[in-house]
Amino acid sequence: MTALVEARALTRRFDPRLTIGDRIAAAFGATVETRPVRAVSDVSFAIRKGETLGLVGESGCGKSTLGRMVAGILPPSGGAISVDGQPVMRGGHKTTTRIQTVFQDPFASLNPRRRIGATISEGPIAHGLVTRAAAPAFVADWLTRVGLDPAVATRFPHQFSGGQRQRVAIARALAMRPEILVCDEPVASLDVSIQAQILNLFLDLRAALGLTCLFISHDLSVVRHVSDRVAIMYLGRIVEIGAAARIYAAPRHPYTQALLDSVPKLRLDAASVEFRPIAGELPSPLSPPEGCAFHPRCPRASDLCRRERPVLTAQPDGTEVACHHA
Amino acid sequence: MSAPLLEVTDLRTHFLTRAGVAKAVDGVSFSLASGEILGLVGESGSGKSVTGFSLIGLVDPPGKIVGGSIRFAGRDLVGLPPEEMRALRGRRIAMVFQDPQATLNPVLTIGQQMALALQAHARVSDRAAAERAAAMLARVGIPEAATRLSNYPHEFSGGMRQRVAIAMALLNGPELIVADEPTTALDVSIQAQILAEMKALARESGTALIWISHDLATVSSLADRVLVMYAGRIVESGPVGEVLRAPRHPYTRGLLDSLPAMAEPGQRLRQIPGTAPSLLALSPGCPFAPRCPRADADCDAPPPRVEADGRLFLCHHPLEAAA
Repeated sequence: MTALVEARALTRRFDPRLTIGDRIAAAFGATVETRPVRAVSDVSFAIRKGETLGLVGESGCGKSTLGRMVAGILPPSGGAISVDGQPVMRGGHKTTTRIQTVFQDPFASLNPRRRIGATISEGPIAHGLVTRAAAPAFVADWLTRVGLDPAVATRFPHQFSGGQRQRVAIARALAMRPEILVCDEPVASLDVSIQAQILNLFLDLRAALGLTCLFISHDLSVVRHVSDRVAIMYLGRIVEIGAAARIYAAPRHPYTQALLDSVPKLRLDAASVEFRPIAGELPSPLSPPEGCAFHPRCPRASDLCRRERPVLTAQPDGTEVACHHA
Repeated sequence: MSAPLLEVTDLRTHFLTRAGVAKAVDGVSFSLASGEILGLVGESGSGKSVTGFSLIGLVDPPGKIVGGSIRFAGRDLVGLPPEEMRALRGRRIAMVFQDPQATLNPVLTIGQQMALALQAHARVSDRAAAERAAAMLARVGIPEAATRLSNYPHEFSGGMRQRVAIAMALLNGPELIVADEPTTALDVSIQAQILAEMKALARESGTALIWISHDLATVSSLADRVLVMYAGRIVESGPVGEVLRAPRHPYTRGLLDSLPAMAEPGQRLRQIPGTAPSLLALSPGCPFAPRCPRADADCDAPPPRVEADGRLFLCHHPLEAAA
């Protein structure tokens, strides 16, 4: 099995940018935050050709930062990302068009002052995938493929609903003929009925084009639906990764178990429901706990967990888990 | 059976805009008993939030309650003078909003705000107010409540801030709490904590709760009864388990089928085609008809209101009842 996308020891820190005001305040004894945020620490994984890897975690776990590095939008502080062995970034710039991205908020990712036809054809024209003369037919073809009327090419983003805008964003990404699509919360801001339409469109196009995907979402049921494998992130690290069916059926990491337990399930019986919430809150990424980052909230934590950080270890069923007590 | 705590009859809240009259809430009726949890479900623009705002008298122009009544503990809130409404709001009816950041005053400490909420409705000494505030914060699961009274809202995390907002809503022991998407902005682990606490609080104190949400799963695990809204109207209501197990209205069925949890992984979802209609140009017939797989010429006429065994639905061609 060959990996198409490979992430090796990806790390991303954000150093606080101190203004002159901050420095003066600090000189006078004010508390100014100077610690770096470690958004992603030492993350490695591979995505096989044609596979969809789901990336799940709560806010602040680093999943979007990781997605932006994979997409070649954000340079890593350490480690590297490659496609077919070729680095995605060189000298802080993306070197390939083989990866494209669909973002959560299509209102923010589409230029509000440009007609959507021009938005869709801009990249392909610049990269020689289509001539300027052939662009209108090219745009019409892509609009049709994402379920929009070709006549809307002359409209502006504000003339579309949220679901339609997400279709435009998908058309723009796929018009670049990528092999790999990074989707960062593509349905998070949509209503349930529109979310189903966009998920169906995604499934159809993924099959038709043979796409390889990194699908990022906080919604566990959406990720289960589209993913072959899933990775669960906590405080900048992957704590469990493996086949989606296995992880959802029998999660091994206590955080994955707690996360799956916390999701409200659709209850069709009248029985009363006991919620089993995870105790406590996400610690600050400015000062992650020593040892296993989950130990302050973990029911199984031991002295070992407080001292030593567990590494991802392969289990008999093929999943990898970072836990001393899995 | 005693009279319900809240009885809403034919409520109509319209927005008089330059483009025309948007009928955000158009003929909504339901009732609620003490201690009952009612889930109000719908998609954007269905009128669920406007219904909530109408109940607490916070509909701003160009919105206006143009018809119907809201009887709360025997009194009609529609047309109540603003000062009487203000005396009720925060004391007997409280609201929790989606964004606690917008609810809390950023320049007052939590203790100051909670004292104000108490002192607005009764003569309470500062010291007694602080004690009651701390007790309420502890009850919603905020550790070291007494010392956190002197913190400002920005010193709390999102989940803790929503707990503070819930504690403020509970301060005066309201009989009814209207909660508008209170956990939508929160992570699942925090959401589960808050759901557990809300459910316990409603049970212990006998407070009635209206939980407004787009999330069927949350409502199914929290509410006793559910109202499904579409285009400003209730299309179906009843006990939550029964409605979700065997919906009679095609829209409720469509919503359930849209959930990835209801399908085999990787398979296409049974989506509802099209989008919700504009509230400015609603036909007199069934508003769901253009998207409905069961619609025919009958649906151009207003759908009949069918009510039996605590279930209600408005449909010409309802789905079969469960065997």
